[in-house]
Amino acid sequence: MLELVPPGTQIDFIGHRRIAYAISGTLLLAGVVAVMVQGMRLGIDFAGGTEVAVRFAHEEGVDEAAIRAIAESCGVQDPTIVRYGETSAPEFLVRFNRVSDANERECPSAAGEAPAAPAPTPAPPAGGDAAAPAAGAPGAPAPVPAERLASSSATAVVDRLTPALRTKLGDLDVLSVDYVGPQVGDDLRRDGLKSLGIATLAILAYIAYRFSSRFGPGAVVALVHDVLITAGIFAIFQLEFDLSVLAALLGLMGYSLNDTVIVYDRIRENMATHTKLNLVDVLNRSVNETLSRTLLTSLNTLATVLCLLFLGGEVIFGFALAMVIGIVVGTYSSIFVAAPILLFLEQRYGGGTKDAKSSGKPKPGPSGGKKLRAKAQAA
Amino acid sequence: MNQLRWRITWALLTVFFFAFLTLANFAPESVRVASPLLPDKGLRLGLDLQGGIHWVLGVKLEEAEKQELGFLAESLRQRAKDNEEFHVESAALEGGKLVVRAASDADRSGVRSWARKAGLSLASEDGGALTFELSNTARAAVRKRGMAQVLEVLRRRITDPVQGIQDSVVTGQGEGRVLVQIPGGQIDRTLARKLLAVTGHLEFKIVKDAAPNEELLKAKYPEGWPAGTEVVTERDKETDRVLTAYLLPEQANITGDYLQDARVTFDRQQRSEVAFQFNSEGGRIFGDLTQEHIGERLAIVLDKRVYSAPNIKSRIGSSGVIEGRFTAQEAADLAVVLRSGSLPIPVQIEEERTVGPALGADSISRGLQAAVLGLVVIVVFVVIYYKYSGVYAAAALIANLFLLMGVMSLFRATLTLPGIAGIVLTIGMAVDANVIIFERIREELRSGKTPRASIATGFNKAFYTIMDANITTLITAVVLYQFGTGPIKGFAVTLTIGVITSVFAALVFTRLMYQVHPGTRPVASLSI
Repeated sequence: MLELVPPGTQIDFIGHRRIAYAISGTLLLAGVVAVMVQGMRLGIDFAGGTEVAVRFAHEEGVDEAAIRAIAESCGVQDPTIVRYGETSAPEFLVRFNRVSDANERECPSAAGEAPAAPAPTPAPPAGGDAAAPAAGAPGAPAPVPAERLASSSATAVVDRLTPALRTKLGDLDVLSVDYVGPQVGDDLRRDGLKSLGIATLAILAYIAYRFSSRFGPGAVVALVHDVLITAGIFAIFQLEFDLSVLAALLGLMGYSLNDTVIVYDRIRENMATHTKLNLVDVLNRSVNETLSRTLLTSLNTLATVLCLLFLGGEVIFGFALAMVIGIVVGTYSSIFVAAPILLFLEQRYGGGTKDAKSSGKPKPGPSGGKKLRAKAQAA
Repeated sequence: MNQLRWRITWALLTVFFFAFLTLANFAPESVRVASPLLPDKGLRLGLDLQGGIHWVLGVKLEEAEKQELGFLAESLRQRAKDNEEFHVESAALEGGKLVVRAASDADRSGVRSWARKAGLSLASEDGGALTFELSNTARAAVRKRGMAQVLEVLRRRITDPVQGIQDSVVTGQGEGRVLVQIPGGQIDRTLARKLLAVTGHLEFKIVKDAAPNEELLKAKYPEGWPAGTEVVTERDKETDRVLTAYLLPEQANITGDYLQDARVTFDRQQRSEVAFQFNSEGGRIFGDLTQEHIGERLAIVLDKRVYSAPNIKSRIGSSGVIEGRFTAQEAADLAVVLRSGSLPIPVQIEEERTVGPALGADSISRGLQAAVLGLVVIVVFVVIYYKYSGVYAAAALIANLFLLMGVMSLFRATLTLPGIAGIVLTIGMAVDANVIIFERIREELRSGKTPRASIATGFNKAFYTIMDANITTLITAVVLYQFGTGPIKGFAVTLTIGVITSVFAALVFTRLMYQVHPGTRPVASLSI
């Protein structure tokens, strides 16, 4: 029989809980500091803006500087240009927030290049997307059609940019165009926070229904711990936070509870069967007994998500990364945090003394530990 | 035993049925339709996988409210003029509200009672000036009507049989938003946008005066423009230079609302033009108008731009032609817009997600690779780690995948890239249920129970743990479905179905396999 964790393993997780508190505390604090100091690096889903991904057929003469020059001549202001993909077929991401008037000579309007319109009259009947910024002749009545297009001129710029890149730098495929207007960005941000809140409440309700008041708070703390640390890591390393990362976080909320549930179910079972053991021993025993399945289930999911991370491509990378981080954090928390938090809450709930309250902080000191242990036994 | 045989038959049939539905998706469309056996339709691919355009359009419903107030102001003026009930000095829009000035108390109370019936509520009163705004019910009605009109027009344009784009979908999305989905990557984005962008408000107006540009026109009216007129220009399409400035009445003599049809025709020089036809009522109005104004010029105004202003030589009945130095494409676009009617309220693109066909194909192959490798890794792992029982888990896992894909095919669900990610995740999570069961069985074996008893206890004790774990995932998946749009929704869909099928597969299929072997036979050891 292959065994990841030999039966009878007895690691004193509860005894070493201070280390876990220190690690978790540091990560949480670092995340909060990172959010306050540098903020989340929001993707265009939440921040708004335009993103164009292109893939060139060949490499010659194609670099960030050349693309930047062309983009700016087309009216793109302060573009961020990122290169990714294989060297033989370089892929570039052009991201921008603001547009201005284009230099018509260097960057002619798009429809002129469209094969469907052979005649040199590129503008659409109503005056043209391309002419949008130049709208509003003096004295013209207020709602001219060009003005109606002005706010979508970011997408109009894209229609000029890609043909210009094609003529100047060689054949290319437009992989994707994303534009998120300010209103939609705000809405997505609000809806995103709302959905996180609703999911938390719904899970809380389920936990309250399923677990006693003894286990519920612990499960919630473990859950919030996992989501906050995962989000914090995105802030610390300035990884891009977009809709798919949010989706991953929501998925993680459900998943991170899985392992906690396994441990808690066992604790409940052991409390009933081993009434003579004190709480610390029950907790240690339960974590040890479930250690192999906690690790195995996590490793399985981690393995598939890693496949996604390495093979899934650029589009799904953020999602897979959030999943990988979340699963690692979630596994750590079910082993090192979920059970000790029960002890912490139990003591606080029961005694509420200063010692018990301070046990959440990494305060080394043998006497404190002994007192807590004594209290736990009393509980 | 007999009962067991039934169960096995039933389980095998279920798996085969869903496997069939799953695999049918790989057959090309033509084969599926031709074959009597295969279902014609299966899984849909999201726009992020097949390529296409996804737009969220914002509808400026405030504009509809303003139009409604303008319309009410006009009808109030008309009413005060026509019957002598009450007098108003002025009725005009000021800062998005309707301000009515009336001299006497009697007039003001007349206005107030008129306003109540018209769905206006009094916002403030200051001496002789009454300020009205739309009442809440009237506002809601105006907004609702505006949305319905916009949806109707956009649908007609995008699905126009001649110029439209097949398989596109136009749906309302909450208050003031329209979702437009245009599949296929080959579409010209600019063309698609043009169909949406042109409001297509066609008006015919008798020209009062004209000059080569606005300054020259202005010079003729040193005291300002005559009341009830506006200046509209004709511009060169290439350079946007003003060709002629026209002084036109503010109110159109006749609008495109009376149009019945519009199509592309060619003049003698084979230049494209757009021929239009009025309905009977429009034809009558147009006939009277042209009769009255023979020798004058008629300006054809589209979206506040003059296209041409021909001389009226004789009475024109129900049909006419718009000349505008169009390219064939432009003429065709314009014909669609005229056919579909004018867009009463301006719309703008608030969100765009366009995926090219290259990226879509890329995503499919990468997603498949990740899924296949994930599956292989998991299968190899469980078989090595749990040996014979691992084979059960692997079989249950594959059955689960068929169930998941089969259910999605049955309901014609949309598969997106995050959806594929959800399937990959499901592979990892589905096996978790088996791991929980197997670890429990191992534990029971270690405690000295017989294999049969261990299996029974393992399944029973793991049941609640598995349920808890999956219900929480289900909760988040449902929240995600409510919140998510497009691709993200696809993730929620696969996750939801995947959670349900994986619990089913682990608890029913794996258990059934244990009932087949070892079943009721007394065995000394279990391969786990």
